Amino acid sequence: MSTSTTSTVKNDRPGSRSRLSAGQRFARRGWKHIAAVVACVFALFPLIYAFSASLSPTGSLLGSNDLFAEVTGANYQNLLTDPQNPFMTWFGNSMFISITTAVGAVLMGAAAAYAFSRFRFKFRGGGLMSLLIIQMFPQLLAFVAIFLLLFSISEVYPFLGLNSRLGLVAVYLGGALGANTFLMYGFFNTIPRDLDEAATLDGASHSQIYWTIILPLVTPILVVVGMLSFIASFSDFLLAQIVLQDPEKYTLAVGLYQFVSVQFGENWGVFTAGAILSAIPVVLLFLLLQRYIVSGLTGGAVKG
Amino acid sequence: MAAVTFDRITCQYPGAERPSVTNLDLDIADGEFLVLVGPSGCGKSTTLRMLAGLEDVTDGKILIGDRDVTDVPSRDRDIAMVFQNYALYPHMTVAENMGFALKIAKVNAEERRRRVEDAAKVLDLTQFLDRKPKALSGGQRQRVAMGRAIVRSPQVFLMDEPLSNLDAKLRVQTRTQIAALTRRLGVTTVYVTHDQVEAMTMGDRVAVLKDGVLMQVDTPRKLYDHPNSEFVAGFIGSPAMNLFRATVHHRQVKLGSLALDLSPAQQEALTTDEVTVGIRPEDMATAQEGTGLPIVAEVVEELGADAYVYGYLAPVTAANTVVRVDPSAQVAEADPDAKDDGASPVVVRTDGRTPLRVGSTVWVAPNTEHIHFFDASTGHRLPQ
Repeated sequence: MSTSTTSTVKNDRPGSRSRLSAGQRFARRGWKHIAAVVACVFALFPLIYAFSASLSPTGSLLGSNDLFAEVTGANYQNLLTDPQNPFMTWFGNSMFISITTAVGAVLMGAAAAYAFSRFRFKFRGGGLMSLLIIQMFPQLLAFVAIFLLLFSISEVYPFLGLNSRLGLVAVYLGGALGANTFLMYGFFNTIPRDLDEAATLDGASHSQIYWTIILPLVTPILVVVGMLSFIASFSDFLLAQIVLQDPEKYTLAVGLYQFVSVQFGENWGVFTAGAILSAIPVVLLFLLLQRYIVSGLTGGAVKG
Repeated sequence: MAAVTFDRITCQYPGAERPSVTNLDLDIADGEFLVLVGPSGCGKSTTLRMLAGLEDVTDGKILIGDRDVTDVPSRDRDIAMVFQNYALYPHMTVAENMGFALKIAKVNAEERRRRVEDAAKVLDLTQFLDRKPKALSGGQRQRVAMGRAIVRSPQVFLMDEPLSNLDAKLRVQTRTQIAALTRRLGVTTVYVTHDQVEAMTMGDRVAVLKDGVLMQVDTPRKLYDHPNSEFVAGFIGSPAMNLFRATVHHRQVKLGSLALDLSPAQQEALTTDEVTVGIRPEDMATAQEGTGLPIVAEVVEELGADAYVYGYLAPVTAANTVVRVDPSAQVAEADPDAKDDGASPVVVRTDGRTPLRVGSTVWVAPNTEHIHFFDASTGHRLPQ
């Protein structure tokens, strides 16, 4: 008797929950899943398509509309062994330029932001304002000027001029400095000045305060700035195309373009294979630094 | 350990209309605990920061011991400071925080650890040495900030309202700990606070500032018994001293039904025909009807042993008005809606066991031995 009563009680509970009809339940929660699935497809399909194309032997994009119809590693082999288009050299160039740019952007931006945030000097307000205003003009406007500037420089310092990787790094560093300084300036301001004063009384010099107190506390924004600079320079095409002329010095973006820029000779298979390979460093970087990025972008709102 | 001398120092911020600190002259003896107290904006923190080297001195000299440090950078002054928000380095452990100054000074690791552990033992922080500041409670953080100061054994300790972020109970507890600790270490300490209770309980001497000017520096006892100005009288003491303004007739001051005599010296020093009469709440006692001042009780605060009666003068003695000394918060708080019909708050301490009823009228008479007279126009104390 007692068991039967408990069982009816048990049956009641799920019964009361299922009083919502299937339609109502969908209206409450189900649509979110559908939206998520659509978003995933939207984001992943191009990747899968490119991956499929890179494995397809036809070399044309139309031929690879049937995903994974034929799978071959030929494209990858071509890519890595073609002596006319030295993919590995481009990869190395890209890594060198991007890493140097990222490190340089962080060091320069942080130093500038520290000065703007902590020192009081003439033209401080004006300096900040002009940084902001200069940022408003797209860099496209400056391409001709940059080209002519590098052209003149290369007559005196060939290692910094046209067709040199360091020259390109210098252009990237200068171009991003304003925005980076502004981004970091805001973050530096969230570090209380009392810390600087405490460290001063503890006997630390300006450089000791900068390296041992401030920089460790602004790590998130350093990571974000470094990462943004890395990605921007890694995927930049136009500037690299203007500055670099020798195939030995191409970056990945410029180099890969060569595969598809020849009319009637486009090799999309090799191109997509190269694209897939060149995506790897950026993806790895994101995975590695993910936790910093989230805290860095919201960091200003959180009390240190 | 060293004495500290402020020699007529002035500090004016660029762009400010008037100096934050004006011609401050102050000698602090070796090993003394001196408290700088005053309402907010009175320049006490600026004074401390000038001693720390964090603000520029516009005029005058600061000496630590015999050394003129006016233009010496902070890091070479050999002082340690405890900040209001502690300013602990968030990315370092407690031990690293405390040892930072020694590390900068290139003290070797072993010596450093020994000194940090000694300080941690004194402050009861030994089990927290490996924690980061964010994993500590407010009181523990405060102790780490103290520890960071004492590890260095500096010439002078500076403390800028170090207790204001603690809750009331912890504040009282830490107050006595800090006072005991600095006395044991024998280090000269300059302590800034806006809380006059802290000032009275901790300081060997207390310096009262107002608008950048030093009003009085004395032992807490003397400050309480012989305030040399109306401002100090109203600022020191809680609840605040009652201040009445009254006219002098033939060397006599009429206060309710009482006539108070001025001594010849007092009459001599007087510059106008008005005086401010100051009487502390505990120096007033209930008296027979018709003696002293009639007071209508408005609020009665019962604190157990004592009860404080906040009331206003019954209209009988409307000639006497209570002077509001504006920086003293207690007076202002006691009377949020100052009535303009001559009734202003008067505080009287009565026995807690037989409290007055609100709304009743009571006559109180001052203890004539403890009446303070101040010149109404200059605010200076009249001589005995």
